[in-house]
Amino acid sequence: MSTVDTEATLVRVQREDFSIDEEINRVRNRSTRIGGIATFLGTARDRSNDRDVSRITFEYYEGMAQKKLREIRERALQDFDVIEVLILHRYGEIDIGENIVLIVVGAMHRADAFKACKWCIDELKQITPIWKCEQTPDGELWVEQHP
Amino acid sequence: MIVTVKLFGMLKTQLHNESELKVPLDQGCRVDDLIAAIRLMNADVGDLLLKRKILVSVNHEVAHGETELTGTDEIALLPPFSGGSCTPGEMLAHVYR
Repeated sequence: MSTVDTEATLVRVQREDFSIDEEINRVRNRSTRIGGIATFLGTARDRSNDRDVSRITFEYYEGMAQKKLREIRERALQDFDVIEVLILHRYGEIDIGENIVLIVVGAMHRADAFKACKWCIDELKQITPIWKCEQTPDGELWVEQHP
Repeated sequence: MIVTVKLFGMLKTQLHNESELKVPLDQGCRVDDLIAAIRLMNADVGDLLLKRKILVSVNHEVAHGETELTGTDEIALLPPFSGGSCTPGEMLAHVYR
């Protein structure tokens, strides 16, 4: 494979936006055994809990957030029949419609890729110390739950 | 010893935009002792800690009450993560600013 990606590039918390194509190719290039790639892309919506939202700010715990994302990737690789997992989350101010979080899972077969991808995003939301603050007409609101 | 406790999210807002707390503790103290000390500093935050609405992490792992603390530990108070609870009734207080 042409790309040598380390765990540091496959698990990232970063301020800047990302290219979905580049990240999918990062996983695709890990193995010619990959026959299916499942993705989850979270984006910033303009409505939350019956309030308009004009912007979202994400804060994270440096060090612990990356550790938890690495653990999620390792457990997905161990517990599901998948070949590669990429997890990426942005922090800082994010405008409506922009990318927030990306999970990319490569597997031989689609069923395993779908299952692992769903597990990764569900687990991310449960155990990763990332906090979301929404800008609403009433002011800024820290959000503690996602439907 | 004095331990430094990192604050995040709504907790930072609730505690006057401070990013950390300095908490004096005796050597050999445990997380439960830290919670008791924080309760004296801020009863609201202390109550949320007692109810486990806010978690304590030590060296990047969620800690239990009996976890012993040292002066070199990295300690943080973790309000509910943005994707934590799925039940609106379990939501913590909203903080507007």
